[in-house]
Amino acid sequence: MAALFKKDWFGLLIVVIVSGLAIAVLKPAFLSPFNLYVLMVSISYMLIIALAQMIIIAIGQMNLSVGAIGGLVAISFSGLMEVQQVSVPVAVLIGLIIGMLCGFLNGYITVRSGISAFIITLATLYIFKGINLGITEAEPFYNIPETVKNFGNAKIGNTPIPFLIIIPIIITFLMWIFMNRTETGRHMLAYGNSVQSAELIGISSSKVVITAHVISGFLAAIAGMLVVCRLQLGTPNIGDSWLLPSFAAPVIGGAILAGGKVDVIATSLGVLIVAIISQALVIFKIDPFFVQIFLGVMILLAVFVNRYREYKQEARRKIFSSE
Amino acid sequence: MKLLFSIVTSAAVLVSGSAFADSSDTKVALVPGGPHPYFAAWERAGQDAVKDFGLGKADYKVPAEWDLSQQNELIESLVGKGYNAVLVFPGDAVGTNKILGELDDAGIPTAALAGCVEQPTKAKMCFGTDTGHSAYLGTKQLIDAMGGKGKIAHFTGFLVDPNTTLRIKAVEKAVAEAGGGVEIIQVIADIDAYEPADEKINAFMAAQGGEVDGIVTTAWVPAVVAAQALTNMGDKRIKMVGIDHDEVVLTAIKDGFVHGTMLQNPYGQGYIGSYAMDKIRGGCTFKADAPWKATAQTDQFIDSGTVFVDSSDVDTYVDAMRGISLEILKTFEDDFLDC
Repeated sequence: MAALFKKDWFGLLIVVIVSGLAIAVLKPAFLSPFNLYVLMVSISYMLIIALAQMIIIAIGQMNLSVGAIGGLVAISFSGLMEVQQVSVPVAVLIGLIIGMLCGFLNGYITVRSGISAFIITLATLYIFKGINLGITEAEPFYNIPETVKNFGNAKIGNTPIPFLIIIPIIITFLMWIFMNRTETGRHMLAYGNSVQSAELIGISSSKVVITAHVISGFLAAIAGMLVVCRLQLGTPNIGDSWLLPSFAAPVIGGAILAGGKVDVIATSLGVLIVAIISQALVIFKIDPFFVQIFLGVMILLAVFVNRYREYKQEARRKIFSSE
Repeated sequence: MKLLFSIVTSAAVLVSGSAFADSSDTKVALVPGGPHPYFAAWERAGQDAVKDFGLGKADYKVPAEWDLSQQNELIESLVGKGYNAVLVFPGDAVGTNKILGELDDAGIPTAALAGCVEQPTKAKMCFGTDTGHSAYLGTKQLIDAMGGKGKIAHFTGFLVDPNTTLRIKAVEKAVAEAGGGVEIIQVIADIDAYEPADEKINAFMAAQGGEVDGIVTTAWVPAVVAAQALTNMGDKRIKMVGIDHDEVVLTAIKDGFVHGTMLQNPYGQGYIGSYAMDKIRGGCTFKADAPWKATAQTDQFIDSGTVFVDSSDVDTYVDAMRGISLEILKTFEDDFLDC
């Protein structure tokens, strides 16, 4: 238990459990199979979007083009299937390549120009979105193959678990291994913590930055395609609303925006907390004009609970070190 | 910048002809606020206006994104290329007035389409859907479909859009007139992006799908997502009246998951708007005593019409839209113009 308490995500887990139980007691429909299904569906793509931003935060940068990459891949994926009659696996593959290319472009320009990734990804956001609109002329692609639609809405057997969440769970696991158990993942955290120190010990800046952006593009691509599966159409608006949530979950999960500290599990719990709060606002029929106030206050509360745990932990460490 | 703009616009007017020009000199730019499928009908409307009224040009030009400065830059560049009449969906109800004033100073007539600018304005008219009336009629249709009683939910768009408040009040008015048999159990707003709309509408269905009898949607994205949700659930018990003509909504009507939709008339806005701009360039003026409607933003509003479409006429909805347009056009000059 003491070991658990030290984990970054422990406070958030408590928030998830307590808030989930409280909502379930007040509104039993919260635990209905359909509601759990809806909750897991919304978590599925938000989880990947949050991880796409988290890996850039890990190196002390920001990716403003996460949504634009996801949107471009979403319409490419659906357009290839509808207009070019490309098979689903090939469309998925091309979508992933587009996402990684976009990420590579972000990383490469950032490294070669020395300009902040904030500025570079702001510029590429417009470029990727512009390509999206140039292709679609703001018209959605509707004729998505049935297999894709079914994947977006199917459940595993008689459970409320959507197929859609399988991919995010696998990716979250792989991301945890990558950030905690691989040399490149640790190099990213070291680079985010101190660029100079990382370079002094031989870490390649360009490799770290480009790799992080390529992974971010790859994840944004997956999220874009999952949203197409879910919505059953490829609309150019996909990704437009991703930017703030992509930062919210990692920050709730204790990530430091200056870099060097991120936590995959805490980020995942951050996604879950935002999703639970959003659902609670609907379930409790909060007046639409006050929804944003409640959302903001609830997110603040979740962050404070986690920070309070860190504060207690820090205080205890000081007591032990002074003894 | 303003001086340069004035020089360019004045030159454009001189090059393209005098204030009382032939129709073939009229070059109309139809500029939406940003990319959105709602405005796609403006393109065809412009082409038809060129063909039917002999205009020089009537082109649909879309700003890269929903941003007032980008829209203004696009308009400036179009005027520089010789367009001499501008129909615009205001990027901002107040902010757009600045460029409309500059265009008017340069002799270029303008009008607000599909959404109004706040008065005082140099826009010659606001030609769009009476959004409150459309929401009211849609709710009436829904209540009829529900047999005059039951619980309804209202899904709508951006809270910062003044039309949203009008729509919420219009739905409340229709419910109040139902004589107590109908109750609004929830209003969900600010769901004009697909991902949050999917999350919130499905959360609503999960929590209250069993007790709700009807759904009215008064914005494009909520209509699409709610229609999709009902189709996925296979639920034909809940009646829904949507808005606009997205393919998902139209398919759900055909399949029996959605009762009907309130069509707006973007085609008519572009078609008649282009015609009106040509008339103004030809020397006509708007009558002060024309049968204007008043809205919260302007008292020079013309309703471009709205029509309810259900499974009986969903296949011919384009004809319905054209029918409204021709009806308005028939009396437009007599009602509104002094030529």
